[in-house]
Amino acid sequence: MVEATVHERRDERSTGVGGSAIVAKGLGKAYELYAKPVHRLWDMLLPGGKKRCREFWAVRNVYLDVPQGSTVGIIGENGAGKSTLLKLLNGITKPTEGEVRVNGRLASLLELGAGFHPEFSGRDNIYLNCSILGMAEDEIEARFESIVAFSELGEFIERPVKTYSSGMYVRLGFSVASSVDPDIFLIDEALSVGDEHFKGKCINRLNDLREQGRTIVFVSHDMGAVKTMCQHVVLMDKGEVVEQGSAEKVADEYLKRAHARGNERLSALAREASEYPRWGSGEMEVTEVRLLDAAGRPGHVFETGDPFTLRMRYRAHAACRRPVFGVGFYRSDGTYVNGSNHAWRDRPIELCDVAAGEEGEVELRFESLPLLSGRYYLTTFLYDHAKAAPTAIDHREHALTFEVLDPRNHQHGLLYLPTLWTVRRGRPGDAGELLESRS
Amino acid sequence: MFSLVRSLVRHKRLLKELVVRDLKARYVGSAMGFFWSVIYPFIMLFVYMLVFRVFLNMRWDDKASPKDVAVWMLAGIVVWAAFSETVTRSTNSLVENSNLIQKVVFPSEVLPVSLTISSLINMMIGVPIVMLGVAWFAYVKGNDVEVASLLAGQEILPEPEARDLALGWSLVALPLLIVLQGVFTLGLGYFLSAFNLLLRDTYHLVGVGVVVWMFSTPIFYPPYLVAEKDGGRYVWMLAINPMHWLIASYREVLVFGAWPDPGLLGRFGLVALVVLLLGATFFRSQKDRFPDLL
Repeated sequence: MVEATVHERRDERSTGVGGSAIVAKGLGKAYELYAKPVHRLWDMLLPGGKKRCREFWAVRNVYLDVPQGSTVGIIGENGAGKSTLLKLLNGITKPTEGEVRVNGRLASLLELGAGFHPEFSGRDNIYLNCSILGMAEDEIEARFESIVAFSELGEFIERPVKTYSSGMYVRLGFSVASSVDPDIFLIDEALSVGDEHFKGKCINRLNDLREQGRTIVFVSHDMGAVKTMCQHVVLMDKGEVVEQGSAEKVADEYLKRAHARGNERLSALAREASEYPRWGSGEMEVTEVRLLDAAGRPGHVFETGDPFTLRMRYRAHAACRRPVFGVGFYRSDGTYVNGSNHAWRDRPIELCDVAAGEEGEVELRFESLPLLSGRYYLTTFLYDHAKAAPTAIDHREHALTFEVLDPRNHQHGLLYLPTLWTVRRGRPGDAGELLESRS
Repeated sequence: MFSLVRSLVRHKRLLKELVVRDLKARYVGSAMGFFWSVIYPFIMLFVYMLVFRVFLNMRWDDKASPKDVAVWMLAGIVVWAAFSETVTRSTNSLVENSNLIQKVVFPSEVLPVSLTISSLINMMIGVPIVMLGVAWFAYVKGNDVEVASLLAGQEILPEPEARDLALGWSLVALPLLIVLQGVFTLGLGYFLSAFNLLLRDTYHLVGVGVVVWMFSTPIFYPPYLVAEKDGGRYVWMLAINPMHWLIASYREVLVFGAWPDPGLLGRFGLVALVVLLLGATFFRSQKDRFPDLL
């Protein structure tokens, strides 16, 4: 988890501001994929001739220039080559082509528990990791207490790390990596595992490092997290850098891609919706459920605050006295966000005596979609309220899945709520001031 | 090769850390602690004595008493145990530590070294036991007049001579033997650990190979039996087996208080250096690929 790059590099530690912390020129990494491990051996023993492997370029044609003291985010979806790029930058793997230059001591926090020896205690792992960094004994002793204190592991520090929870792994990993006084700090999503309290501490520590003019490279697939941390963002896709620049500029490109990709993936998901249960007496049928964006185009990816319309089509196979349509929204983890129907309202829509053969449309509309970014699904209800208790006519569990992106990332959590913030300043010898912000 | 040495020097602290950790792991947590490194050779000895001397009723000759044979065997077992353990563990060392190699810039060249050092230190607990045995039978109980023959370590002994157990000044050669053993073991460890990444079957092959090697090395039987069998048909097995040369030298020093045969030891030293050179070169040539191969 922690690592100082090759130590010769440390001597070139350039002190002037404005230099480059990391320069990558035409960086590429190809993995040789062999159908059988033995083939690799044959290729080695019998050079020349056709290779028995397939080449896979995890990263290719990457040009980067990370200025000293900057905070750079690398985003991309799973498999875009972010982690491979990080491994190339910190020197764990050697590039197949191109080169990387790093100025300064580099520490990195890759994946959960990376670089720990599971059988060793937390204490031993701190020593082990610091030894790998080439730190002297007294240097380790000097930092040991503060590392333990920051990690908040308490007496767990004496237990083997294999007994640690994932949160404890991250705490120890982050404490060590950030305590070695790195000039460049690489972090790979790992932070997302910790609890909110520790995450806050980490961000504080990162801000401290940033203020000391250290360089931070932050890898994530979460645009929101990257945007709060980084001024400069690199967007990767299929092993290549597709866009880099200011966070705003890259975010647009990212959203565009997310829309395209999300629609592709989610429409595939929607086709599988029939796997979820559907039940009811069947006098009427919901024949189609669609989500429409502001322009009335069907889609599966929406942005917070945009107009959002859900449209259901129905057909009656038999007469029905009092059908009521309803919709329930759920977050992907099953949290029930909201449910409503057109009958239980101050001014209900009464839909009475539907005859066999009748067809129609029912719409639910948000002027401004209040859901924050995440994956959601919805369930449609068609119930007969003429009975003593409403009974299902056509209940479609998990009818649709959709994704919400929040490019502005102003609020956190599940829902965007209209808020009124006020600040009253009472300066001495002054009338004071009232500041207001409504959203 | 030089870059390897430089890296080891640079990471000497880490190396120390790993050795201490490994020694601790051996003994901490086990009820018998470091007595295990004593108990293991004795159990081996007991089993072989039981099978070959008691059940199969095998005798090397009529003059050697069981006690002498026991001490003589023990010397071989202690050395072999350290050697075979290191080779097997080194072979798997890179795979076992893939978590470090893949996720951290880890100087993987320290792994076989740490295992070699740790097992040699462990062996040094067993060696005094052999010396105690020799001292007990030779000086406390007194050498029987004609015992202890046939057990000498020369490569080929046409006419076995009677020899007494003894401890002597030749013990000063012990560090040299231990270092050379380390060199040889490390060379094999470097080669096998890297090769194991190219072909994972290596680990299993080594497991089998070590057993075959053990039985073809005069540890539980005297070398002259091999040399004389069928008019010398099997002499080549001794002539190509460096571990025989090493163990024979150890026995000269530890059991008979004599100086090791310089020809034998010299040959072993040469082979050990060549093996280390080749093994380390191969390791170095593959090192950059380790994270990708794991």
